[in-house]
Amino acid sequence: MPNLKDIKRRIHSVESTMQITKAMELVASSKFRRAKDRAEAAQPFFEQTYKLMAEIAAEDPYFNSVFVHKRVENGAVLLVVIAGDRGLAGGFNSNVLKIAQARIDEVRAKGGNPIVIPIGQKAVDYFSRRDVKILRSYDHVAERASIYLGMDIADLVISTYKRHESLQNVELVFTNYVSPISQVAQCMNVIPLTRMPGTSPRRCAVEYEPSPEAVFDKLVPQYVAGLIYGAIVESFASEQAARRTAMENATDNATDMIDKLSLQYNRARQGAITQELTEIVGGANALE
Amino acid sequence: MNTFRFMIVTPDRILFDGQVQEVIARTTEGDVGILAGHTRYAAILKTGALTVKMENGDKRIAAVAEGVIKVSDEKTTVMSSAAEWAEDIDPDWAERSRQDALAKIEAAKDEPDRLERANLKLQRALNRLSVSGHGTGTLESKHK
Repeated sequence: MPNLKDIKRRIHSVESTMQITKAMELVASSKFRRAKDRAEAAQPFFEQTYKLMAEIAAEDPYFNSVFVHKRVENGAVLLVVIAGDRGLAGGFNSNVLKIAQARIDEVRAKGGNPIVIPIGQKAVDYFSRRDVKILRSYDHVAERASIYLGMDIADLVISTYKRHESLQNVELVFTNYVSPISQVAQCMNVIPLTRMPGTSPRRCAVEYEPSPEAVFDKLVPQYVAGLIYGAIVESFASEQAARRTAMENATDNATDMIDKLSLQYNRARQGAITQELTEIVGGANALE
Repeated sequence: MNTFRFMIVTPDRILFDGQVQEVIARTTEGDVGILAGHTRYAAILKTGALTVKMENGDKRIAAVAEGVIKVSDEKTTVMSSAAEWAEDIDPDWAERSRQDALAKIEAAKDEPDRLERANLKLQRALNRLSVSGHGTGTLESKHK
């Protein structure tokens, strides 16, 4: 028969854990709502920028931009990896880091050299413990991210790409927010812009000032900044959604556990009373 | 007067989407005025003022940071990292960000990358001040 005191203590401990998970769930859902609005507000800017770039690329497939053509095979790959600043978010951090690690292994297997820009404390921790070259790391930036952070990182990425001929491409590993219960970690190519929609036969004469190349090259940093900023806010929304789900499950589990323990406690209590009664009755009988 | 659809898009919101009569923007090649039926066009915007003549003839001025303007058949779009209407600018905040930018320029003296970024920040702050009517002189003269 389990000790009454022990069960009581366990119930208390589960209850206090439940208070924490419940509070974290509430915090995550309010942060999630704000993050989701931010992620949605970032969409039109990115779409418009991409559309104009695609139009310029479609107009003249031979135009000269360093950002469009593949330069080397199996060269260095720059990975921008976005994870969270905190844990307790279900599989959020491990999923995105797993994808990044798989990509790093793949690049290495081909003889290339992976370089990482980790964003978020968890990514910084992960890569600083491993044998990977870190270009620059950013932590605790996601919650208050602005487009200027995106521009900062975009500048770093673009100047690195321009300076190093051996850099094959730049990729972004982040978590795509699909729905409140589904977030998918993915790896996406950023530079070079190889998958610009094909050359459309419809050539519409557009006047570019000063030139199509200049407008395009102006758009690239804006596009990369928009992309990175979008990925950061989207990952943050995903993190909050994942944490909310994880904490919701934890709270549910704690409720179940408390129910089970209460049942056990009541049984034990009942057992003790019954035993006492039997002893009294037995004792009384013996006296007669 | 004929009107056309005009949009101002920034990374955090759509500042404006509606019918207008005329848009005057500052590009790297000089000021351009856009009326309904303008030819397809795209240019790089400098940090500066954007003047919009609304459907009802009212004039509104916005402070716009670096970006791109694009004119297509269906609409004209301004894409910029930041944009605010003159009346929405808080001069105190703009002044603070100007001082902040000056401090950053001081701190980034030896780093060309950061210096350029700080200079852009200063330009944005000065632009906001001049557009909201609190600046002294034009952006160019003050920057030199």
